[in-house]
Amino acid sequence: MIRKFLLATAFVLVCWFAVYAANAADLQVPQQMTAGTDLTLHPSGSGKATLYLTGPDHVEKRGIRLGEEVTISGSALKASGYYQVMIKSGSDQSASRFFVSPAEPANENFLARPSRVPVAKNDVISGVAFVFDKYRNLVLAPVPVKFSLTVGDTAPMTRTETTKNGVAWVKLGSARKAGAAQFVAKVDDAEVRRVVQQVASDPCNLRMKAERRDKNIFVETDPVRDCTGNPVPDGTIVTFTEVDSNGRSTVDARIKRGIAQAQLPASDNATISVASGVVLGNEIHLGGGR
Amino acid sequence: MNRLACFAAALVVVAGYIACSRVLAAGPGSDSGIQVQFSDEGAGPREIEDATAAAVTRDYGIAWKSVETALSDNRTEALDAGLIGFARDRMANRIGDQKRSGMHTRYVDHGHKVQATFYSPEGSTIQLRDVANVEVQVFDGDKIVSSENMTRSYIALMTVTEDRWKVRVLQEVQ
Repeated sequence: MIRKFLLATAFVLVCWFAVYAANAADLQVPQQMTAGTDLTLHPSGSGKATLYLTGPDHVEKRGIRLGEEVTISGSALKASGYYQVMIKSGSDQSASRFFVSPAEPANENFLARPSRVPVAKNDVISGVAFVFDKYRNLVLAPVPVKFSLTVGDTAPMTRTETTKNGVAWVKLGSARKAGAAQFVAKVDDAEVRRVVQQVASDPCNLRMKAERRDKNIFVETDPVRDCTGNPVPDGTIVTFTEVDSNGRSTVDARIKRGIAQAQLPASDNATISVASGVVLGNEIHLGGGR
Repeated sequence: MNRLACFAAALVVVAGYIACSRVLAAGPGSDSGIQVQFSDEGAGPREIEDATAAAVTRDYGIAWKSVETALSDNRTEALDAGLIGFARDRMANRIGDQKRSGMHTRYVDHGHKVQATFYSPEGSTIQLRDVANVEVQVFDGDKIVSSENMTRSYIALMTVTEDRWKVRVLQEVQ
């Protein structure tokens, strides 16, 4: 009697397991994939089930049939990160996690600062490149980025830096020549260009001459240039100061066509000086027998 | 004299250590209620000013709070408090998918250990490596589909916006 009961129980258990095994979805998913590639699943079992896919930028729910091939399009797997795929059939559920890695470098974001910079200064221009794949995932594997800075027809300054966590950066000095510098960051075939305007630096050897005209003193600078010979831009302020027994007179004049001019009150014994920003020029003494 | 020299040397060492590394924490009492522990040891090339470190700690917490709210309520506009650019677009995609599928996701945030790895020379971008402890529950309607308690690692890029730092890239890493 007991033997029969045990045999019957074993038979019921075997049947139950067979039905369970037929329905349960076994999920075989690769551990690692590249962004944008299709994923094919072969859920075992039979009957209807619901597939859930959750990822960094995607959530999907759809009905499937167990035992039939299921394809998840690469367009659903573009974002790098962990995804979870779950198949639910009645009370049975199977789940798997997999990681989607960034694809090959295809794009970059390039920050170049500043947009305007004086010539011949060390480490004043900075460039930062962020390397992305075509799905806008930050490419974390090391990638060489070639930075180059060129003004006109001069030889470019180039530096190659390897990305760390998707970022490469460089600090460069400005060239000796004024003009629009082309600042380029290149990763494989992707190239991003920025323009850094290199302008003349502070005036160098600021010199003026003075001359009496009628009741005034006419002052005029020589062509104002920086220390590397670039003309200081028109509009830069040049200050002429006259000191005599009556006190001090100051005139601010803008550089126009390379030179600055002004008229100061006539005086029998005056000292005239010229300055631009922090740069002092020559001094001229008029009258008083000098 | 010797004691004085030793004391001065110790002071220099301590001051040096403080200058080189710093750990900040924004806890449940902060703006977002998200716990963020921030460290800038090894970050560069620009030195991270105290005010910047505090702002990034606060704003990174706000960003995660905005993700939590947006994914739970399926409200894209909630992302604007902390996300911008690609990070916002991605999360908005996910919310759109959730809405279409009648699903939502609940994040129970147990805190972030954040390490600054890069601060750009001009000071407009900061990169963070985050180890986050989160419980993620996925719901289909009112039914819970999955619940996982896990440690996740992220790379985040934050940029200065008009009034705060916002997350521009948020990418899960292995």
